[in-house]
Amino acid sequence: MSDDLDPLRRVRPDRLQPDDPLDPAVLAEQRERLMSAIDQTVNPETGRRTPSIYPRIAYRDEAAALEFLTRAFGFREWRESRMENPTGMLAWLEVGDGVVMIGRAGPEHHDLSSPADLGGANTCMVNVYVDDVDTHHARAAAEGARIVMPLEDMFWGDRRYEALDLEGHRWHFGERLSHVRERLGGRG
Amino acid sequence: MDEPTDAAVIAASLDDPASFAPIFDRHAATLLRFLVRRVGPDAADGLVGDTFRVAFERRGSYDLDRPFARPWLYGIATNLLARHRRAEARRLSALSRLAGRAAAGAPEQAAAPAEAAVERLDAQDRWPTVASAIADLPPGERDTLLLYAWEDLSYGDIAQALGIPVGTVRSRLNRARTRLRAGCEPGGPRSEQPSTPTEDRGRIGP
Repeated sequence: MSDDLDPLRRVRPDRLQPDDPLDPAVLAEQRERLMSAIDQTVNPETGRRTPSIYPRIAYRDEAAALEFLTRAFGFREWRESRMENPTGMLAWLEVGDGVVMIGRAGPEHHDLSSPADLGGANTCMVNVYVDDVDTHHARAAAEGARIVMPLEDMFWGDRRYEALDLEGHRWHFGERLSHVRERLGGRG
Repeated sequence: MDEPTDAAVIAASLDDPASFAPIFDRHAATLLRFLVRRVGPDAADGLVGDTFRVAFERRGSYDLDRPFARPWLYGIATNLLARHRRAEARRLSALSRLAGRAAAGAPEQAAAPAEAAVERLDAQDRWPTVASAIADLPPGERDTLLLYAWEDLSYGDIAQALGIPVGTVRSRLNRARTRLRAGCEPGGPRSEQPSTPTEDRGRIGP
């Protein structure tokens, strides 16, 4: 086939510069996720267990929030559970044995608001225990989370800090001091 | 032919969901290449998984009269791309820079071997502008045009993929070519040429 679209055919990216050959691991991983999603459809009880209580957190830009929460706070997305449609995305993020759900803010989305819609006001805070709050704190700060309570050892036996995400939701990250001491080999 | 058609696999998967796997095995590499072309490898990895997950969820509405599922999968992937326009824009601007270097640098590598040298030079001058002109197309026209020119889908396959009539495929392609021409050669003689359906049928049959 040869016609006036030939210049366009020639700028097909892999013709201009061949991409790296397909990584079979990428396809293997995606195949595994597909099969696990299918398995969940068939046998819901073998699938992910959502806890009996978990929050849904609303964002103006839930895609940016998803990216931020995984990058800055190290949450892991249940990728096969993500639901995308033109009016918004729903994603589930795993944190230890807990789960948070994130979605879009707005009247048509359960009438939920983002702090970004409320001049920064929050009506709740999500508390998260992590394995190593020192590393978690350093990573969050480096990735642009706004630290609003410094990392401190508290009288109730936790080391904790608090941070705001991109739209101002407040997150409390802690680790039991006994765990901190164990982790640091008695030096904590 | 012992291999069951895609349609047969999909039909069987209605009762036995796990038997959907061959649809992935047959088409995932092609769809991944398509997605890498459109949005680059980072976004494409997850999107190829999403494409097949959505396909699995929608398998009940697959038209079993169509033995070959690839156009359907292209359509699902194209819909998912709508949420990744920023990644696509980055990919296209990288492409434009790359095309600029290719035009200036190693021509033999990239050009089709059978091309006449003169035509090749002429075409290479236009590469960077072609690449940036693609970015300026309305998404529906870009989707249609790239399924045609990069993925080599027929008019009928594109119509099936995008769920639009063949006539709409034709008119989108016409409009896209007119815009590309205008974008690449402002004021050039070809940009004055009207693009009629008759003329088009003669030049690029499905």
